[in-house]
Amino acid sequence: MVYRFQYILLKRNISAAFCQLLILCSLCSAVCAQDSGAKSGAINSEFFEVGAYSGVINVEDFGSEFFAGVNANFKATEDFFLQFNYMQTKVSLSSFERSQGQLFSGSDRNFTHYDFLVGYNLFQGEIFKSNRTATLSALYVVAGVGETDFGGEANFSYTLGLGYQVALSRKFILRFDYRDFSFKSSLLVEDELTHSSQVSSGISYLF
Amino acid sequence: MPTLTLKIYKRVWLLFLLVGLSSGLNKVWAEDGGLLLEVIDPYLELHTGPGRGYPIFYVIEEGERVEVITRQPGWYEVRSRNNQLGWVPEKQIARTMQASGEPADLPTVSYGDYLTKGWLVGFSSGAFSKGELKNADNLKVTVGYRPLSWLVLEAESGKFYAPETRGSYLGLNIVVEPVSRWKLSPAIFYGGGTMDIEAQPELVPLGFSSSDMENYGLRVNYYVGRNFLVNIEHRWFDVSIDDNNVELEGWFIGFNTFF
Repeated sequence: MVYRFQYILLKRNISAAFCQLLILCSLCSAVCAQDSGAKSGAINSEFFEVGAYSGVINVEDFGSEFFAGVNANFKATEDFFLQFNYMQTKVSLSSFERSQGQLFSGSDRNFTHYDFLVGYNLFQGEIFKSNRTATLSALYVVAGVGETDFGGEANFSYTLGLGYQVALSRKFILRFDYRDFSFKSSLLVEDELTHSSQVSSGISYLF
Repeated sequence: MPTLTLKIYKRVWLLFLLVGLSSGLNKVWAEDGGLLLEVIDPYLELHTGPGRGYPIFYVIEEGERVEVITRQPGWYEVRSRNNQLGWVPEKQIARTMQASGEPADLPTVSYGDYLTKGWLVGFSSGAFSKGELKNADNLKVTVGYRPLSWLVLEAESGKFYAPETRGSYLGLNIVVEPVSRWKLSPAIFYGGGTMDIEAQPELVPLGFSSSDMENYGLRVNYYVGRNFLVNIEHRWFDVSIDDNNVELEGWFIGFNTFF
């Protein structure tokens, strides 16, 4: 009988030791899980896009010029994004200037524009390149403010635009844009509200 | 006595086993470092892109594991066990996590508070509504840092465009936003800096260059999404030009993102 008790007690000790081991294991797994929780930075975030674009701008009262520019996008929500654009070109003589004489020269002939825009994705969808492959696309509108430097003037300008983007791959996005820059200029007529419109295409990298 | 000890052991063991199993099963890390989650909702819908306009093309059943790969505003890109890649709304992932009893270690859907120790970048535009530069258009860029949930330190660089003058200003502001977790949240701010004014066209120098400036104002913040903040503010400027104080007032609308 005594032996039997000792046997049971001993067995209980073994099971207790086994329990302790399991507790340690589960504790370890819990701690490991918590440690890995702190690693959630391992999920890649994609909020920024940087890109370059080029196209034609028509400067009111002057001519049309090829230009190049750079931009940066920040995805704010699934619908909204913020965009910064900077473009530059050199404006050649207008037909008026050719017949009546050059109005200004040197660095004043540089047309520089930058703006800060809020964009809204109107229609998100897909383009089917073939029966089996689809790429993401979106039609968006943008509006914002910026500055246009031309002819020795620095003018506050409003920007309105429409754009279309197609994903070339997971990271590269192709964009087609139309923009209208409106600002008050006194180059030809005092306080004239001018509109310069631009069409462009560009490529952005998402990261 | 040994029986009692054993009972306690058993209970503790069961408890820890449960904790261990729940954390182990619902959230483990894939070999390549991705986060694995277990679907606890009846199903998880995968969209082709990170937006509600993109169609649903695949459904993952309850109990399956998915690997979380990428985050975009409001969306997570996940990979299913059979290598289907798709996008899931943040809210659905968060709900799945909460149902598992896990504290959310993916960013939760809230405002303000989680921004502590975060950066803010944005721009704003507006016009002076009172003073000598009335109706002058304004444009400014802001960079901010939030050391505490109710406090933002921001640096700004602005420009204004009056018919015959142009100006720029640089400033530092302290913004107090008492309840930043509200979607619509009021704030007050105070700051100072310098302001430069010049004539346009630059034919006649105005006779002064840089002036000290103080400003203060009221602001209403509206958190449109987790990373997007729109605010409207009314601001009073006090500019010291040649021992004269020039007072200006203006309305501004601002758009900010934070990360």
